[in-house]
Amino acid sequence: MKNQYFLSLLILIGLSSCYRTLSSEGGGQGDIRTDSRPVNGADIELPSGYTVEAVATGLTFPTGLTFDEQGRAYVIEAGYAYGEVFLEPKLLRLDQGGGLTQVAAGQKNGPWTGVVFHNGNFYVSEGGQMEGGKILRITPDGALSTIAEGMPSLGDHHTDALAVGSDGFIYFGQGTATNSAVVGTDNADFGWLKRFPDYHDVPCDDITLTGQNFTTDSPLPDNPGKKSTGAYSPYGTPTTIGQVIKGRVPCSGAVMRVPLEGGKPELVAWGFRNPFGIAFAPDGKLYVTDNSYDERGSRPVWGTGDYLWQVQSGTWYGWPDYSGGLAFDGEKFGKPGGVAPKPLLARHPNKPPRPTATLGVHSSSNGMDFSRGDSFGYQGQAFIAQFGDMAPNAGKVLDPVGFKVVRVDVSNGIITDFAVNKGKENGPASKLKHGGLERPMAVKFSPDGQSLYIVDFGVMQMTEQGPAPQQKTGVVWKVSRNNN
Amino acid sequence: MRLRYTLLLFGLLFTVACGTAKRGEPTYAPIPTSEPAIAQGEVVFNTYCQPCHPGGETGLGPAINDKPAPGFVIRFQIRNGLGAMPAFKKEVISPEKLDDLLAYIKAQRKAKKVKAS
Ligand code: HEC
Repeated sequence: MKNQYFLSLLILIGLSSCYRTLSSEGGGQGDIRTDSRPVNGADIELPSGYTVEAVATGLTFPTGLTFDEQGRAYVIEAGYAYGEVFLEPKLLRLDQGGGLTQVAAGQKNGPWTGVVFHNGNFYVSEGGQMEGGKILRITPDGALSTIAEGMPSLGDHHTDALAVGSDGFIYFGQGTATNSAVVGTDNADFGWLKRFPDYHDVPCDDITLTGQNFTTDSPLPDNPGKKSTGAYSPYGTPTTIGQVIKGRVPCSGAVMRVPLEGGKPELVAWGFRNPFGIAFAPDGKLYVTDNSYDERGSRPVWGTGDYLWQVQSGTWYGWPDYSGGLAFDGEKFGKPGGVAPKPLLARHPNKPPRPTATLGVHSSSNGMDFSRGDSFGYQGQAFIAQFGDMAPNAGKVLDPVGFKVVRVDVSNGIITDFAVNKGKENGPASKLKHGGLERPMAVKFSPDGQSLYIVDFGVMQMTEQGPAPQQKTGVVWKVSRNNN
Repeated sequence: MRLRYTLLLFGLLFTVACGTAKRGEPTYAPIPTSEPAIAQGEVVFNTYCQPCHPGGETGLGPAINDKPAPGFVIRFQIRNGLGAMPAFKKEVISPEKLDDLLAYIKAQRKAKKVKAS
């Protein structure tokens, strides 16, 4: 009897000591292969009846894909990647046999994060790390024009992927400037704080602050010393209880829309963090994927999954005071042994809804699309590309999270792996040392609905100096259903 | 002697507790959801556990799809949240839902491999 009690106690202790004892083991950490990127579809596991092959390789930071009216595929290269790499973003046509033809190139204001072809033109979201985010129109012969601009994208997150609605509007996500609304030393690590020392988040509507401030050692050489910083304010600017911050549009952490012919962005919904993926379901409802909080900066938030949201017009989704519909009102979401985040807003616009699905913490659940017909199967389900964790910078994980394509039944939130690397453990091919998936960034069904294209960003190692993305390691995969 | 035995056991438990385990679709057979408790448990799991134990595998937290731990230990872990894990009280996961969740976790552990990898 006594022994049994002792054993149970031991089991419990054994079970509750992993997290603190083990160090972070993310998918970009440890021994990562960066000198080559072998490509082999046989290293990717799929449900029975599906096959996968690479249709383009050697891409530099690909992020999105679309098809023209003849069914030809086009891919965009971001031009900017974390790790402060600035290149020209590009729109490329995928030719039969794996060749790539350049259609257009942009300014060094990437990352280009999404592309759709609609009624004879391409529409591209330009992330806007240098000049702010834009929506571009590109004609098939490569003439480029700006149809909307001024999106607040100089910070951590950018203007995100887009989708065209049946109402003739382009819907797109806009990420926040910071992790949880307070500018801190983590933003200097990203690189932008030194470039834009006054930059911060912008709310979509007037907000009243609780007046919390956070003290850090200034990372800015021109402005050294201890600094106190409040929410929605420049680095080193404290706030007071009851202070009102004026809202405006375009704003941070929102879904907005512009007419196809261009114009001023209009607000659809806000309170997101980084709503990267966007798609209309077959029933016409709009969904976004939202990259959740990191365990970094002045106000770290721990253990929050990425979300799949159904977007309802005029609704606030909870950033920076809720996660997945749950309020920051107690010990929740504090790092073990750390302080739990407290609300920054004195009043909340509405009680946020609950998500459609909650995906892996730090999985970086990004581009998505819906299966529309029976020809591919899983009709009506959302397919989501998981870029994979950026541990330890984003937070600690015990093993790699993401690096695969999952499918979600939006009626009940059940998430199932669809395309995942073979092997006893999960992770990118560069860690598992085979020819499978690296970092899936976007997925897109072909117009006939029979195949799923996976845009694989390529190798991104996490080093002491930050992310180290590898050029020319991007791949486009095509998953087809066997005729049987 | 007794101490050495304890330490050994502890070490063993730690390895078992903190190991990784890939045990989901598509490598493994889908979990049979014809039993209503398992089907409902799958929804509970996806709502509350999936973010840190994706598919029962290691993620932010350790794998739970390969643990020999008896049901009462898992229940204790869920209700009290030992270590870094948050607790889930009965206002969040009702006793009925907890039963369903356990049925699902047990089914997850029994999943059969259908592909070589
Ligand atoms: C916010 C993240 C998080 C969530 C959500 C979560 N867990 Fe955990 N879980 C952990 C961590 C971290 C540990 C390891 C504890 C430690 O080592 O300190 C753990 C440990 C466990 C263990 C012990 C297994 C072992 O090997 O240590 C079980 C069983 C478990 N969790 C089940 C669940 C279930 C069931 C749910 C859903 C009701 C759940 N967890 C939700 C983070 C989480």
